[in-house]
Amino acid sequence: MEANDDQIVRAVLAGDKDAYGALVVRHSQSVFRAAFRITGDEADADEVVQEAFMRGYQRLESFESRSGFGTWIYRIAINCALNMVNKRKSATTYQIAEDADPTQQQVQIADHTAGPERTLLSREIEALQATAMRGLTATERTAFILRHMEDRSTAEIAAALSIAPNAAKQAVFRAVQKLRRSLAPLRVTP
Amino acid sequence: MNHFNEEELIDYHYGESVSADADSVARHLRECADCARSYAAIERDLAEIAVPATPVRGEDYGQQVWDGIRGSLRAYPAPERRRWFQFAPGSQWKGLAAVAACLLVIAGAFFAGRLWEHRNPQHPVANNAAGDQGREKVVLVVLGDHLDRSERLLVELKHAEPSTEGPIQAEARELLASNRLYRESVKQAGDPTLANALDHLERVLIEVSNEPAGLSQAKLDELQKEMNTDGLLFEVRVLRSRVQDDVEQRENKPAATKGVSI
Repeated sequence: MEANDDQIVRAVLAGDKDAYGALVVRHSQSVFRAAFRITGDEADADEVVQEAFMRGYQRLESFESRSGFGTWIYRIAINCALNMVNKRKSATTYQIAEDADPTQQQVQIADHTAGPERTLLSREIEALQATAMRGLTATERTAFILRHMEDRSTAEIAAALSIAPNAAKQAVFRAVQKLRRSLAPLRVTP
Repeated sequence: MNHFNEEELIDYHYGESVSADADSVARHLRECADCARSYAAIERDLAEIAVPATPVRGEDYGQQVWDGIRGSLRAYPAPERRRWFQFAPGSQWKGLAAVAACLLVIAGAFFAGRLWEHRNPQHPVANNAAGDQGREKVVLVVLGDHLDRSERLLVELKHAEPSTEGPIQAEARELLASNRLYRESVKQAGDPTLANALDHLERVLIEVSNEPAGLSQAKLDELQKEMNTDGLLFEVRVLRSRVQDDVEQRENKPAATKGVSI
């Protein structure tokens, strides 16, 4: 019979380092998924996964079984991912633009996928959405991702971001408002 | 008729309304065309916000992650077995008596300490200053030693021949644990140059220590090209001499200088 997470944690704390491997194997996929959605970059997400499990191991003594290990490591990963995003913020970013202006760090990308009107519209929505997502603060963006894409409750978002539930709710609301505003130009009827 | 605002409708969409509220919202949406329109617009907008496809990770991904970090983790010490204080089942009174005795001893020690302090006043400022200075100097010397060892390892790595598990990897593992400690402290102390160099060093140390099949020529080339170990060696040399200068400066000017603090 497979040991549950709490039993494994106790084994690790009793000196069985290798037992931790079972927890890593069990929770890596979900941690990667959340990390990728927050960082938006595969390599960064891989790094976040490693860092989260390393931090988790180092803080394992502070783990209390009130919440499951999965939830606990997920919170650590969200924090690591947020740190990563903040770290990358200072790095150079390039925007895709119709008329590239190198001084504004804009580049042009060749479009090889000419398609029907619907494809064009959804591409337009995606572009507007991407711009709006960049306009969100790290907390708003993460709160929205956890709510909309990861199906996490307000309480879980608050715990993951170490903020009050009301602040988490407000962060989701502000994010939705901004995103809806960004999609508004597409709703204008002639 | 009380209409619902955007925030309440968004809560309802995400199932965050408490059940009584959810029922009243649902009822209201059936009756009020304006709110129904607003809610439909929210639903449409949120449905259009695409969830980006997550890259697929294979079934062995977890194992890969574990292989990547395993070498950097130290086993927790096994808990010591209970001996004299291991009470027989049902002997709670004995246990309580022992706890009470311990508390008495602690309280006695505390009051004795206070009495001693009153009778022998200290000179905390002078002591602290001397203590801090001494401690910082020790830290600098230890950090200098760490950079020295790291420099030697990078030099060995530069001239290393392909090999299976060897002393370089063992040394890298040893350095990794202390490097992590220094990096954290340096980061907290706000020395970005040193912190970045230690961060870079840590990535190299992880790569070196976690190579299960030893260091192949390809791995050595990869370390040199992708992780720029030559550049790192130069950085470590510069920082080592900077730390050395700090140590010397402290020896010459005992109380005035600041230098690298971690």
